[in-house]
Amino acid sequence: MRKQWGKYALATMIVTGLIASGCSNGNSGDNGNGGNGGNPGGANGSNSSEGGVKTDGFPIVETPITLKMFTRVAPVNGPFKDMPVFQDYEKLSNIKVEFIETPTDGFAEKKNLLFASNELPDAIFRSGLSQLESIRYGTAGQLIPLEGLIEEYAPNLKSLMEQYPEIRAGITTPEGHIYAIPGIVTLGSARTDKRWINQSWLDKLGLNVPTTTDDLYNVLTAFRDSDMNGNGQADEIPLTARVGMPIVNQMAGAFGLDSQLGYNINLEDDKVDIWSGNDRHKELLMYLNKLYKEKLIDQEIFSHTEAQFLAKQGTGNTGYFFDQTNNNFLSIQDQYVGIAPPEGPHGDRLHSQILPVPRDYGAFAITSVNKHPEATMRWIDYFYSDEGSTLLRFGREGEHYEMKDGIPYYKEELLAVAEAQAKITPYAGGGAPHIISDKVASFINPPQVQEAFEALEPYLPEIRYASPMFDEATAQQVNILRNDIDKYIEEQSTKFIVGALSFDKWGEFQSTLEKMNVAELEKLYQEAYDKMDK
Amino acid sequence: MNSMMESAGAAPAPARNKKGAGLLKKMAKRYDLYLMLLLPLAFYLIFHYGPLYGLQIAFKNFNPAKGIMDSPWVGFIHFERFFDSYYFWRLLWNTLSINLLSLLIAFPIPILLALIVNEIRSRTFSKLLQNITYIPHFISVVVIVGILQALLSPTAGPINQMIELFGGTPIRFMESAGWFKPVYIGSNIWQSMGWQSIIYIAALSGVNPQLYEAAKMDGASRLRRIWHVSLPGIIPVIVILLILDVGHFMNVGFEKILLMQNNLNLESSDVISTFVYTTGILKGEYSYTAAIGLFNSVINLILLLLVNRFARKTSETSLW
Repeated sequence: MRKQWGKYALATMIVTGLIASGCSNGNSGDNGNGGNGGNPGGANGSNSSEGGVKTDGFPIVETPITLKMFTRVAPVNGPFKDMPVFQDYEKLSNIKVEFIETPTDGFAEKKNLLFASNELPDAIFRSGLSQLESIRYGTAGQLIPLEGLIEEYAPNLKSLMEQYPEIRAGITTPEGHIYAIPGIVTLGSARTDKRWINQSWLDKLGLNVPTTTDDLYNVLTAFRDSDMNGNGQADEIPLTARVGMPIVNQMAGAFGLDSQLGYNINLEDDKVDIWSGNDRHKELLMYLNKLYKEKLIDQEIFSHTEAQFLAKQGTGNTGYFFDQTNNNFLSIQDQYVGIAPPEGPHGDRLHSQILPVPRDYGAFAITSVNKHPEATMRWIDYFYSDEGSTLLRFGREGEHYEMKDGIPYYKEELLAVAEAQAKITPYAGGGAPHIISDKVASFINPPQVQEAFEALEPYLPEIRYASPMFDEATAQQVNILRNDIDKYIEEQSTKFIVGALSFDKWGEFQSTLEKMNVAELEKLYQEAYDKMDK
Repeated sequence: MNSMMESAGAAPAPARNKKGAGLLKKMAKRYDLYLMLLLPLAFYLIFHYGPLYGLQIAFKNFNPAKGIMDSPWVGFIHFERFFDSYYFWRLLWNTLSINLLSLLIAFPIPILLALIVNEIRSRTFSKLLQNITYIPHFISVVVIVGILQALLSPTAGPINQMIELFGGTPIRFMESAGWFKPVYIGSNIWQSMGWQSIIYIAALSGVNPQLYEAAKMDGASRLRRIWHVSLPGIIPVIVILLILDVGHFMNVGFEKILLMQNNLNLESSDVISTFVYTTGILKGEYSYTAAIGLFNSVINLILLLLVNRFARKTSETSLW
């Protein structure tokens, strides 16, 4: 047999080649062109207008400059270079921006590889940096500290930060640095999902708006059993939500569970309490399990995509769901009405799903390779004024929008063309660095949405704390703990809800969480909370 | 490529007593062959050995701004974190069990297919069979998983409709931990058996036809001929491919598993490679995941050495 060896050489060679290339895939992404960092604070303290950057008025620079920015493009957006905001703003500011566009799918991957390979653009726009990422890349020197630049070159952002002190608290590291600017939302309605119920179905059944969790259960059961759309098939979806955990957060308030500090945390008398694994959490999951088992919750809730979820809103075949606006069911909007949260078995009635004013953390950051940090800061600051935000969200006056009573409205012609509105603005798809106030919200906050928000208002938590900023070492520690804990909670919660795991195992769930050191995590949050400006 | 280099390196071995001088003389004489070798050698040095120096970040706190060399050393912290992780045993078990099952179930099937194709008299039919079985190999993994989802959907999937027709209750194939491995391995077999059988078919065509004729004369039935002529004829290929398979034992089909993963089947679909992707690339923990990757490779190397040694002892065929 040995003689035949040569004959198989070719085959072997092919396969060996495959292996060898397979083995080396382990750790790419480290082109070690080091020595670029070590520049923290380098961009601070230039008090006069340097390099021809004006502290107010346009153009920002006399001689045109070009900036490269890395950005995320949502599925609904068109190319950024075709958006009126960037075309017009380039003429106004004398700053040309070349966008490196990355689709939402795979964005996190690209973003991290960018930093790991140290091939940085001048800035990242709509970057969705997490706090840990901004601290990590900031202390590494890849992102520059912005607090000095904000002071000098960002009048709009600065005045917002003075008006809403929680912004500064939410973005400043313990060392006093700001590495990323958030998207700011002063409009309360844009910080929370409304609870939309199918009023026409309720009317048909002669039922009242559900006010308790038991009521809700009965209403959903009626929705399921009464063939609401009259097609003879049980194809109605009584309750649906975005994929995964959002349903848990939406119902948590009825069981007295809040989400303070950007986590599963209840605050009582200044004590941080991580509620994962406690009795109320169990009751919440048991309630959801009951709904899921009886097919009252969308059976695809753990697998459907965002696009499918939005499509379900538009069909009118859904009984109860959560979303910030009515934009996805405009054609049948009269069927739906926004309602208050249900009251739970212990008398809790809370709408805990509301985000803080600095809603989109890490929306914009400037890197260390940027030669014009001052001009870049002034460039972005414009979007924190009502005027700039209008340009970003609405485009050109006359062409895309018109003014009524001092606020902009999209023109009918634009809205008439399907999907045209989201193509012209980078805000659609979320996370853009700008201000959302009542001055620029005619589209996302029409009367129906305002009413829906008013229904929620009495049940909102009195104060909403954003995730605290940790120093680098603590942030890393929190990250290590949360990596395992969050993954575990999410996986087990899903199993409890669909019934793949029986509630007999609750003790095991609790003891595993204990083993994963939730107590330590709670301590770290407590310390961060104690240090916060309140 | 490796084997070529090895045989080139092995050739002067008998002349070892003459040592370097003889080798140099030989090299000078056949310089053109060695020049040809230079290119693949450079390829391996640059693309496969060069990047190995990046492995050191497994023992460092990698900071991209400082680069690989200047990041601070931290010793075995990242390894300890992985071994202490709640998920360590689950990841290891899933990685090993998925591979072991694949090896046990999926490895023999292309051999069977090749034997069948080899026995088919009609050339057109055997060609047709080959083509049909290896077309799935050319479908992208994303599409394959899409097909699986459509096929196995509990509401609209034809398989579950069939189950319902016979009075059963629909099974959530894609959303249950118990079904993950059968679906994964089954679809792998469907996708790759044709392609993998090509090498065996080629090997079978190299078996001396006189052996078959002699066996026929001795009155051997068809099964006997397969058992005593065909199989021994391709044993060396089978052993080599088996060893090579073990070579990527720990590198399971990462994309496919990632695409099939969800919270409900995570218990049996969470493997080391997907864990490396989600924590390393998506969360930017390069040092930690480099450590995990290194651990993975070391285990793999040990397995490869063991199997190779075992193969050499039992069948005289081995990689080296």
